[in-house]
Amino acid sequence: MKDYSIILFLCSWGPHPAYQSLQDMAADIPPEIKMVRIPCSGRISKALLFKPFEMGADGVALVGCKAGSCRYGAGTESARANDEDTRRILHLLGLGSERLRLANFMPEEADALLSFLKDFTADIKRIGKSPVSPPQRSFGLNETWDKVKEAVVRNNVFSCQDCGKCSSSCPLAIAGKPFSPRALAASIISGALSQQSVQEGIWACLTCGLCSERCPSMVDFPQFIREMRAILLSSQVPSPDVHGGFLQSFMRTMCSPDLHTRHWDWLCGDLRTDPQSKTLFFGGCAAYFDAFFGRHLKVNTAKMLTEGIRLLNFFDISPALLQDERCCGHDLLWSGDVESFLSLARLNQEAFRSSAAERIVTTCPECYRTLSVDYPAYGIDIPMEITLIHDLVEKEVDKGAVAFHPCKGNVTFLDPCRLRSMPEGKELPRKLISRLKPSAFKEMKQGGAVSDCCGNSAWIGCDSFSKALQVTRLKQARNTGADILITACPKCQIHLKCAMEDPFFGGDIEMEVKDLTTLLSESIHWE
Amino acid sequence: MANARGEKGRSEIILTGFGGQGIVLAGKILGQAAAIGDNRESTLVQSYGPEARGGACSAQVIISDTAIHYPHVRRPDILVCMSQAGFEKYIGELSEAGTLLIDLDLVKPQGLGCEYFSIPSTRMAEELGRKMMANIIMLGFLVAVTKAVNPDSAREAVSSSVPRGTQDKNISAFNKGYDYGAAVLKARHKKAHGEAESGQ
Repeated sequence: MKDYSIILFLCSWGPHPAYQSLQDMAADIPPEIKMVRIPCSGRISKALLFKPFEMGADGVALVGCKAGSCRYGAGTESARANDEDTRRILHLLGLGSERLRLANFMPEEADALLSFLKDFTADIKRIGKSPVSPPQRSFGLNETWDKVKEAVVRNNVFSCQDCGKCSSSCPLAIAGKPFSPRALAASIISGALSQQSVQEGIWACLTCGLCSERCPSMVDFPQFIREMRAILLSSQVPSPDVHGGFLQSFMRTMCSPDLHTRHWDWLCGDLRTDPQSKTLFFGGCAAYFDAFFGRHLKVNTAKMLTEGIRLLNFFDISPALLQDERCCGHDLLWSGDVESFLSLARLNQEAFRSSAAERIVTTCPECYRTLSVDYPAYGIDIPMEITLIHDLVEKEVDKGAVAFHPCKGNVTFLDPCRLRSMPEGKELPRKLISRLKPSAFKEMKQGGAVSDCCGNSAWIGCDSFSKALQVTRLKQARNTGADILITACPKCQIHLKCAMEDPFFGGDIEMEVKDLTTLLSESIHWE
Repeated sequence: MANARGEKGRSEIILTGFGGQGIVLAGKILGQAAAIGDNRESTLVQSYGPEARGGACSAQVIISDTAIHYPHVRRPDILVCMSQAGFEKYIGELSEAGTLLIDLDLVKPQGLGCEYFSIPSTRMAEELGRKMMANIIMLGFLVAVTKAVNPDSAREAVSSSVPRGTQDKNISAFNKGYDYGAAVLKARHKKAHGEAESGQ
């Protein structure tokens, strides 16, 4: 059995001198403690606080200066906020919030520091070892070129006619980024995968699929990019994860079979669920997103899930919930980490099989696509019907005797990329919106079939062009005269909310963003 | 079989509408479902003549557990109206605890005190692509609301009565009406229990 390992992030200013005096005295600092000296506890982001857990650490202590004594002013307060959010995520993940502890010491408090370290070590030992087993990734450097050739053939890339329709439809290129799908494809075919510009291009693609829709040669560009990413990752070219890689980190952590998450701990009590139900509600990661982004963006994407369950309840369906549900793996798959995606998919498959359910309902377009398209494509067979909640609601409402309180205000709709790429994915939300009877519904310029995305996907490569895209999108939405921008994906909500934080555009792009499931649930009634 | 059969296991039904709406066919299917599918007794009296060219037309169906000695309906337990003229002609005959079913767009039951069930069957049939299937939609609605016959027997009877090649379309029309009826019953139940709004 491996030894316990506890990471101590120690601020250089206040507590480090105390730690040094402990070392000078040859005090019995527990050997499990691995100290990392840092310039300020406030600079240890949520991503850095969480990273040790992904790598298998049993505990993490963040030790900084006492309130009011921070050399940089806000460090103590930032550390407190980061600690709180990360502990929330640790709780949801089932690792336990008590594995992370924040403390503050002055230089002269050596004894107090020592007893803190001893107590924490003892507590961690009482909780036991972390259930996380960091994945061992295999690297196959010499087969890279063969894999590239296979991917080129499989996705029909040789048939590119260099016509340029892809570049003229690409949202990134339109936003002004020097990015061209056909040029990228040509470079990869010519064997330039090791060039930095090519690698940057591979990570930059939004994988929205607009180019493939226009392509006269039916090149499956998003799929090709996904395979290229997997090759880059296995050749140790890291993906440019945003938010310090936090989101990929927690998703990867869920790959550990011994981990039992507390995925639904936050759910309020007025909803009806039934573990023996034939319908399983698959939620997705919204609650984690809220814990991570909530403080800054005030988003509440988990409302999608509560309202989804409420809609099911409205139709007298009490769904089953998987208590230790895991991420569907969408983001890991699209950022090239196929191995982690497959371990998540297998764990989910096992959980589905051990439930009594015959169909899975989800509100998230990404979960829907991943479960219904990507799982089977990777040989993960789910012998159940996968249903998007919008489809279920449309079918039920179509039976009759159900109506909606009219939605006050003008609305427009932003197509989530993963919904748009599914058959029925463009029509279905519009049908439902017309049932909501808004004062007016107007498509955005570049709406519908040619809908641009919200600027980013799979939490990689967000940059100033993503931002430009989001700002353009919001301006287009405002130009329709709409009061409410409706969307159906938690990530659209997060990204657009983030763009609205822009200090220069400010009020020009601000507008209410509402999720379709929530709108439906709030206004539905029996006639 | 959870059929809510009328008193003494007998229900008397009048279907009425314009000539050409398939009123008589609907009556025939209903009786056939009861007799062949549910092993009960049934009779059909049809009235048309000059009315077949667009006037009021009606079909009278009796479904019973015991032998039926007289096939004429005087006080119907169930009245189905697919035209305003038919409604006006027969509404006075509906028994006190009887059930009234109407086409939402074609019949305006003005000054009617009692509760009734309505379905936009003609509009639904138009949406399905064939206006002439309104009768089958109405039939599905009737079966769901009144449970006069077993829905599976009714589907059997629909399949064997409509022109060959249109069976699937007619079955989906039947299901459409049936689902609508089930939803309406559910909505009434929810309203009665104060659960009509989401989140209650």
